[in-house]
Amino acid sequence: METSWKWKFGSVFAFILLGLYALVPTLFHFPQIRQELEAQKKEGTEALLPWYFKFFPEKGINLGLDLQGGIYIELEVMVEEGLKAKMDILAQEIIRNLKERKQLEVESSAKDPAYQYLDFTFKTPEDSKAASEYLLKNYRNTLKREESLPGEKPAVRYFLSPQYLADLQKDVVSQAVQAVRNRIDRYGLAEPTVQRQGATRIVVELPGVKDPERAIKIIQQAGKLEFKLVKNDLTATKLGDMIAEARKTANLAVGYTAEDVQKLNDALADKLPKESEVAFDLTREAVTGKITQATPYLLERTVYVTGEMLKNAQVQFDQNSKPYVSLTFNSDGAKNFGDLTTAHVHELLAIMLDGNIASAPQIREPIRNGQCQITLGSSSSRDAMLREAKDLVLVLQEGALPARLKEATKTVIGPTLGADSIQKSIRSMLFGTLLVIIFMVIYYNLSGLLADAAVLINTIFIFALLAMFQATLTLPGMAGIVLTIGMAVDTNVLILERIREELAVGQHPRAAVESGYRHAMRAIIDSHLTVIISGIILYQYGTGPIRGFAVTLMIGLICNLFTAVTMTKMVYDYFIMVRKINRISI
Amino acid sequence: MKLFKQTPNFPFVRNRFIFLLMSGLIVATSLFLLFTRSLNWGTDFMGGVKLIYQFPKPVSDGEVRKLMETLSLGGVSVVRHGKPEERRLAIKVSKPSQETESLSKIITPALAKAYGETGLTLEQEVTVGPKVGQELRRKGMLAVFFSLFCMLAYIGFRFDFYFAPGAIVALFHDVIVTLGFFAFFQFEFDLTILAACLTITGYSINDTIIVFDRIREHSRLITPNTIDEVVNNGINETLSRTLITSLTVFFVVLILYLFGGATIKDFAFAMMIGVITGTYSTFSIACPVYLGMYRAAPRFEKMFRKNV
Repeated sequence: METSWKWKFGSVFAFILLGLYALVPTLFHFPQIRQELEAQKKEGTEALLPWYFKFFPEKGINLGLDLQGGIYIELEVMVEEGLKAKMDILAQEIIRNLKERKQLEVESSAKDPAYQYLDFTFKTPEDSKAASEYLLKNYRNTLKREESLPGEKPAVRYFLSPQYLADLQKDVVSQAVQAVRNRIDRYGLAEPTVQRQGATRIVVELPGVKDPERAIKIIQQAGKLEFKLVKNDLTATKLGDMIAEARKTANLAVGYTAEDVQKLNDALADKLPKESEVAFDLTREAVTGKITQATPYLLERTVYVTGEMLKNAQVQFDQNSKPYVSLTFNSDGAKNFGDLTTAHVHELLAIMLDGNIASAPQIREPIRNGQCQITLGSSSSRDAMLREAKDLVLVLQEGALPARLKEATKTVIGPTLGADSIQKSIRSMLFGTLLVIIFMVIYYNLSGLLADAAVLINTIFIFALLAMFQATLTLPGMAGIVLTIGMAVDTNVLILERIREELAVGQHPRAAVESGYRHAMRAIIDSHLTVIISGIILYQYGTGPIRGFAVTLMIGLICNLFTAVTMTKMVYDYFIMVRKINRISI
Repeated sequence: MKLFKQTPNFPFVRNRFIFLLMSGLIVATSLFLLFTRSLNWGTDFMGGVKLIYQFPKPVSDGEVRKLMETLSLGGVSVVRHGKPEERRLAIKVSKPSQETESLSKIITPALAKAYGETGLTLEQEVTVGPKVGQELRRKGMLAVFFSLFCMLAYIGFRFDFYFAPGAIVALFHDVIVTLGFFAFFQFEFDLTILAACLTITGYSINDTIIVFDRIREHSRLITPNTIDEVVNNGINETLSRTLITSLTVFFVVLILYLFGGATIKDFAFAMMIGVITGTYSTFSIACPVYLGMYRAAPRFEKMFRKNV
């Protein structure tokens, strides 16, 4: 064999071997084995992997949720909620700065429900003027325009600059994305993806997750920890009656989400003592999580200690080996907590988690060491309780979400359904391909065998490239592969039919092959390019699943140009030029 | 082995009006079905909740439907998922009257009570907000139309502008007929079927281009008197490749339809129809439209000149 032929064949073989090499982890389930071994390993030791693992790529083809099972969830960040919190912080900061730097007292402040402005009321016109000067100088990027408000006292309205508002909004969303990402990373899953979509949406994909409900809860839990004092101005029955009445007059449904409780408090606003609010201690049924009892409490509005003052959270066990969550505060938190418990011994302290009361124990004595605990009440079995405690620790440690996340869309697919359909589908696809292979050999003899080889190699290349780029194979992606294989068969048929035609008019094999390829090429290129163009557009403008289709389609068609045209032509050339055959088995 | 001993010479062009009439009838029927029965839009596009359960023992969908009606959740439909022996049912709630997040928490216990807890598994849960569904539908359609437009431009550029409209009209024909079948059988139209429609357009355009390429090859022979023959020859010369390719693909999707998993069944069904119409539309629509364009062109030119 001549050297140039050796190079040609050598490089084709090298490509095929490279493709097979990239597919080894997928074919032999390396990632699953790795995961199992890592789950078994003892704390602190390296997992005992088979020696040959290090010679192969770490990851195989990512199967999409529809094939593997898992969760796909799009969450809408309730940006307004985050904005509200941020504006509260801004207002507090301004008031503090005016007081500390300028010795100015702000009598009262208010914020726009639509987050456009902040109002400050001052005692004297001089104060107001000095404050304006200070604010417009030091908050140049934040506050835009001022406007005096009519009224007895001098009041000024400051509009927030649009740029600042936009930045705030962006902050809220990116903080939410970060928080979700941290939580999921801590939860420990194989191939999680957390992405921002559009302005206010987060897309989370968790393939192969075993306990979807738990994972979703971890993502969505706001993780807002607050300590508030319980007021005993009203008896429990009185409070209950007031709530029932308020619900009736304001036509509110019975509900205990943060929104519901907020609405209830709005309705009760003028009936409750000043600076107080209502919150509920919920009892849930162990299995279904249905709320069986909701005890209302009257709380002081002031938040004394928050989750931001946490240093650490841990799962611990009491003497009955029941798990609880132990909290350790940082120095600020410890000080606040110490002062609070010293000043209010024997009162009830409400530990609030996401707007509901987790527990409301009595303060027995001043606690100065900055430690406290949350007991868990709702779960029945110890395992479930332990899981709940662990999840709560994770959420508290990773910090609260800047705003609530609302499910926009969610898909949860159990692993069995995906596995079932993939197995059956792959088996039938293989069966179908086998029939095509046999048919091609019968119809085109040895040339058909060559075409079969080209189609098979193309399939190997598609899967290998998917594995190398770590693209995700989904059901629509498989549709793309079906189209590609169909077009690959077509390309070969097109060439072979053309060669037959040329042979039929009595051309020499060599000339027939040459002109067969030349004529077929135009149609092949045109049809491939048209489909690739549409693939590019679908990729550019399509959503998730359509993109999966476009990716496999484009990869497949580009590979096909190589396998069905370049490679087969090379084989024909070799036999015609080097082996000098006079007849083509076609 | 050969399909035809000699290049066949079927009178495709002479009978084009019969083909056109047939295609027109099929498209009209499909459109009629689409407007009267409308597509059974899947949860992906309509919003709502879809739950797939595997049951511990064989159950009938009617039985479960009755049970669901007692829960008063909103518009509920219950259909079998896959073969009866898989014991899977899909429960769809189109406009949930309750908070969507909690629907499975209501339905699962109700089913567990009726059919026993062990062996009853919730295998798939899809929740789509109504806004998201709309968005998905809009984006999907936009992507498809834009890609059709680009194909039109490419064919116009590579061949000439007499060819392009025929190819695109043929694509519309294929997709409409496929959708018509889905409307007739009321199979669920979800993202996977949208992918199938895209695949069908891919096949159809491929098939059309192959024939157009043959016509283009003989473009020097084209005159108003010979064009019928050139087009007819083009179709006939490529006929054996058309049949071989279409049949092989058809058999692969047929096998996928017969033996594939439940999730891919509808996809394969769409593909079977698509492969047939994709092949058929080339000679029944794309080529006649090309002929029509070619014939009409001088007249248009004349009109244009007169006006100038």
